[in-house]
Amino acid sequence: MNRSDVLVDADWVEAHHGDDGVVLVEVDEDTSAYDKGHIQGAVKIDWKQDLQDPVRRDFVDKAGFEALLSARGISNDDTVVLYGGNNNWFAAYAYWYFRLYGHDNVKLLDGGRKRWELDSRKLATEVPERARTSYHAREQDSSIRAFRDEVLSAIGQRNLVDVRSPDEFAGRLLAPAHLPQEQAQRGGHIPTAKNVPWSKAAEEDGTFKSDDALRTLYGDEAGLDFGKDTIAYCRIGERSAHTWFVLHELLGQPNVKNYDGSWTEYGSLVGVPIEVGDGK
Amino acid sequence: MSNDGCGAPPGGAAAPAAVGSQAIVQGRVTQNGSAVPTGYARLLNSGGDFVAEVPLGEDGGFRFFAAPGTWTLRVLAPGGVRAERAVSAGTGKVTELEVAV
Repeated sequence: MNRSDVLVDADWVEAHHGDDGVVLVEVDEDTSAYDKGHIQGAVKIDWKQDLQDPVRRDFVDKAGFEALLSARGISNDDTVVLYGGNNNWFAAYAYWYFRLYGHDNVKLLDGGRKRWELDSRKLATEVPERARTSYHAREQDSSIRAFRDEVLSAIGQRNLVDVRSPDEFAGRLLAPAHLPQEQAQRGGHIPTAKNVPWSKAAEEDGTFKSDDALRTLYGDEAGLDFGKDTIAYCRIGERSAHTWFVLHELLGQPNVKNYDGSWTEYGSLVGVPIEVGDGK
Repeated sequence: MSNDGCGAPPGGAAAPAAVGSQAIVQGRVTQNGSAVPTGYARLLNSGGDFVAEVPLGEDGGFRFFAAPGTWTLRVLAPGGVRAERAVSAGTGKVTELEVAV
């Protein structure tokens, strides 16, 4: 995997505007952002309404993903370029979904919506009409998704990366600081996890840091053993999808999984070990 | 409001919340007295590390649910605009600030 295989810049997007076979998709933390303005031609995926099972705590299943992409007019052989706000947080989460269901030709717009806006590039409000397709997803790729029992058995064996903020890692906060702190669960982190807040992988304008800077961040500074397999987690698996993208797609680490159950599951389990306090 | 995801509520600042045990930092970004509707507010901890970010609302507004302590608020907006303010948050308090850029 090479950076240019998985990232495009704003100039690329502008140069390929209107190309057949290229679909821009906005996926934002703030799901109303698209309606205020989006990159011309982009369609919207709502991470909450479109990507979550409405009843069980799980993703949309294969049939649901197929229905979603078909309705958005996305074909199996399209190049899908995802972008969103907040360092591509939710766009990276959607990227992981696309990979999970076997869509190979997917990329992120480096810097996402923030860099686009800070550069004063144009946004449009008209919603494009795309003809319906018949999208066929593959079965979920279990090599990039971790479940709780695998996480428990990974304690002390594999790299565990907790990508929440230091205050959440230590147990002082239970959610990111721009959200109400109203969750009922234990605070802390999975023993042996290293704390590398997800956003450290991004520059202030939302673009990803260089490969060298990323290797230093996770390796030299955080102490990840690049020779071992890795599981990343956060609170509900979205910030850790961003870190999964960095480790698996940018740095080419072979065995990296996202534990999407994350702290809201782990911190509510009975009888599992929890550590509190700041990272070592 | 419900908090079943990591997602921010629509349109910049969260809906008004009961302060209760929250430590809220909120405010508005203005330029020459007018709201700055396009831009980002970032919250940094006392060590200078990024903690959270929200897009500004139509009224230039932002809101964070922080922990008690000292924080830095950094604003980014088109045209290379950058501004920073030190801010203290306390449990059960709403700390208001207006950032003129």
